[in-house]
Amino acid sequence: MSVITAVTMPKWGMEMSEGVIGNWYFAVGEQVTEEADLVDIETSKIINTITAASSGVLRAIIANTGDTFNVGQLLGVIAPADVSDEDVNAFIQNLSGQAAPEPEAAPTSTPVAADKSPAETTSVQAAPAPTPASSLGALSEGGDDSEVAATVIARRLAKQYQINLNNISPSGSHDRVNKEDIEAAIRAAGGQVERPATRVDSANITRDDGAVKATSVARRLATTLKVNLLDCRASGDRGRVCKADVEAVAARRNAPAPAAATQVIDDTPEFSEVAMSGMRKVIAKRLQESKQTAPHFRVNIDACIDELLATRAQINAANKHAKVSVNDFIVKACACALQKIPAMNIQFTGDTIHQFSHADISVAVAIDDGLITPIVRAAETKGLLSISSEVRDLATRAKIGRLTPNEFQGGTFCVSNLGMYGIKSFDAIINPPQAAILAVGAGEQRPVVRNGELAVATMMSLSLASDHRVIDGALAAEFMHCLKGFLEQPATMLG
Amino acid sequence: MNDFDLIVVGGGPGGYVAAIRAAQLGFKTALVEKAELGGVCLNWGCIPTKALLRGADIANTLKHAAHFGFEIDTPKLDLAKLVGHSRSTAKRLSQGIEYLMSKNAVTVIRGKAKVTAPFTLCVSTDKGEQSYRADHIILATGAHARDLPNIKVDGNLIWGAREAMTPSELPERLLVIGAGAIGVEFASLYNDLGSQVTLVEAANQIVPVEDSEVSAQLAKSFRERGIRIHTATTVNTVEHHQNSVTAELNTANGSEKITVDRVILAVGISGNIQDLGLEEIHADIDRGFIKTDPFSKTNIVGLYAIGDVAGPPWLAHKASHEAVICVEKIAGLANIKPLRKDRVPGCTYCRPQIASVGLTEAKAKSSGLDIRVGRFNLNANGKALAIDESVGFVKTIFDAASGELLGAHMIGAEVTEQIQGFCIAQQLEATEHELADAIFAHPTLSESMHESVLDSLGIAIHQ
Repeated sequence: MSVITAVTMPKWGMEMSEGVIGNWYFAVGEQVTEEADLVDIETSKIINTITAASSGVLRAIIANTGDTFNVGQLLGVIAPADVSDEDVNAFIQNLSGQAAPEPEAAPTSTPVAADKSPAETTSVQAAPAPTPASSLGALSEGGDDSEVAATVIARRLAKQYQINLNNISPSGSHDRVNKEDIEAAIRAAGGQVERPATRVDSANITRDDGAVKATSVARRLATTLKVNLLDCRASGDRGRVCKADVEAVAARRNAPAPAAATQVIDDTPEFSEVAMSGMRKVIAKRLQESKQTAPHFRVNIDACIDELLATRAQINAANKHAKVSVNDFIVKACACALQKIPAMNIQFTGDTIHQFSHADISVAVAIDDGLITPIVRAAETKGLLSISSEVRDLATRAKIGRLTPNEFQGGTFCVSNLGMYGIKSFDAIINPPQAAILAVGAGEQRPVVRNGELAVATMMSLSLASDHRVIDGALAAEFMHCLKGFLEQPATMLG
Repeated sequence: MNDFDLIVVGGGPGGYVAAIRAAQLGFKTALVEKAELGGVCLNWGCIPTKALLRGADIANTLKHAAHFGFEIDTPKLDLAKLVGHSRSTAKRLSQGIEYLMSKNAVTVIRGKAKVTAPFTLCVSTDKGEQSYRADHIILATGAHARDLPNIKVDGNLIWGAREAMTPSELPERLLVIGAGAIGVEFASLYNDLGSQVTLVEAANQIVPVEDSEVSAQLAKSFRERGIRIHTATTVNTVEHHQNSVTAELNTANGSEKITVDRVILAVGISGNIQDLGLEEIHADIDRGFIKTDPFSKTNIVGLYAIGDVAGPPWLAHKASHEAVICVEKIAGLANIKPLRKDRVPGCTYCRPQIASVGLTEAKAKSSGLDIRVGRFNLNANGKALAIDESVGFVKTIFDAASGELLGAHMIGAEVTEQIQGFCIAQQLEATEHELADAIFAHPTLSESMHESVLDSLGIAIHQ
């Protein structure tokens, strides 16, 4: 049995490949007893403490606090005082050579510096603090906090959010400030904590494909090749994405584009390339994302708008400046229905549902190179005349590009109307973080059956697309039923 | 008018499975067979040889009984009884197929079939010829052993597989030409029963399709058992005597003459494509086998080919699987995928047994794949030591990037019963981590599979 004991990076679980060195509980030269807490190690999942495997003097610390070391790498050496320094050094030379099986691992002579994972460190430091330091005001005040006992992750978080550790009450083991303490303090100060930094190798994958059914091989390969599983076909057994699907996406992406273009030009008709405007890119990205992440489902209903049209005629006749449109009625009716069914008046961020008290109705407006959705705020509080003039104003300014961001960002519900083109009915794509969108078709005279008799009525087809993650079919149906009621009996919107 | 919706030609593990599946899917189905139901596999291949090899296992067990404390006088073999067991097993199973045919209402037509036109089959029996029409005709006629240009099976001194599994007396000296699966099984069998066996293989290793480490382990075990092995060796001439044969071997070190009592020829097979009318209807043939698309369709409308006659790998389970895929594709079932030939396991029942699936290490490397290899020797497996069968190992080959199991190669006791674990992992596209996380019962031979996977991750526990 060797009298010299190596302290190496342990492997806690299959996924662990490296760990960050936390605090050493002993300094070089101090006597260590067996099973004494020696050094804290932090992985992406846990913080744990290495205990001394044997008693002796801590002869060397190779791994400095804050550095990242691979599993199995030498962190320090414990040996009896009577072992010579030469022997300890020889032991270190010998072991650190063996303990670097990965080709990218450090050369023997400089194990410490090169073993940092620069990419990861950078990504964490570069991550913006979503809550500005100013809002955490008091937490940042205070003197030097370098003496405060804190875990490395806690210290890193504190730096990121500019928090002085003197202001945090510790709850961690050994009375140290841990990550939870910092997060609790940020939240207590009204701040928000961003989600943990994503792993470096999945940095390119912004959309969460965690819910996609895929084989293990496919999932791992997707990470390696930086392919989002949402982009893959699912041709595997039981509708799972399999290896071949991931490889197909990677191959398509890696296909030499110019070669493909030449090939196409040879036998395709003449065309001109139209540059993607910034807005076009945003639309493309957001709507693709919406269609792929939000499980859309639709409920359709027809409303008779004869009474609505009569009311509209009365209002417009009564006021010579009034030019209330059918769409204005729909905005108002949606606002009223959302008030009645507040579970529909929401935004969904993927984690939490925000339910709003006011109905901020986005109205889709077609403009030259795309579309934009200006918002009628708190539409339930506004009369038809004011909604009408507001929508007209917003639409006009939208078309000349004079909207301010707060006039089109947000909204709790969206209305898209293609009735003026004679479209009978259509499907719309939800505009996240909203969770539903109403597609409005043209009002047209249709034969209807009333009490067994054929009659003519002005009907309008309405189609509601909802995000099934947060809106269930019955809720959507209830909303549509309610909306139909307001549209068919517009006077009830006054109540 | 059609007589049947679907007719299968050949009642082996490809044909009868196709017929049953077709009947299950509601096709009016017939099966044409000129000999025994069950085909070569069941009557003259897999099954009867396994029955004989069980005898070889018992012989070996009796030889080693002393190790476990049993003193037994030299046991005497009644060869006729062993062969009798083998034949009755085959017969019983063949009758089982007959039962399955009637249970599934498959019409069995005894006779020789010939495709006379698309959708038309002519079956000749001793009573005459009759034509049948069907929308789909599946050829599953199998394959037969090949002769060498200079050495032909004569049924007397030179044996094919049939003669080799129905010996009336044990040859004292035996030459086995060809060290593929069939060759090494017979070499192993006759060695265990007491013959002096010489095994000759033209390739550089015995069991040439297997991983080279597996081949080396088998060669070592065979040599320890007294089997003489000549690789990279061909047989120049054979000289027939009254009751023996003198063969001239062309080895790497020059030629060598050996005299043996019998020769077993096991140098490969070719497809049964003769007298099927394939030339007349211009069906595409590729090197002695019927050419098909991934779903077993030939170039002739309504004509399909499955199993051995449609090309390698020549394995019963490949034929059966192809049969199901072919019929389900015909029936238009959704999500039918072609057979993955790289996922067909291969089992050889010599002693020690060999089982493998997927790529060999050499093949994976030559394909330019970045691989991780795990190995575990059975001599560190408790169960293997307990049953005194500690020769062999499990080797696993994973794709480093995706963790996909590219290949698994096992040699040792009962490995043929274990390879399915790796086949399931491949089919589910499990990575080495899932396999590492799975719990393998103790004490079992299959723990070696687990350890091999762990070794690929550098964390094998018991070695």
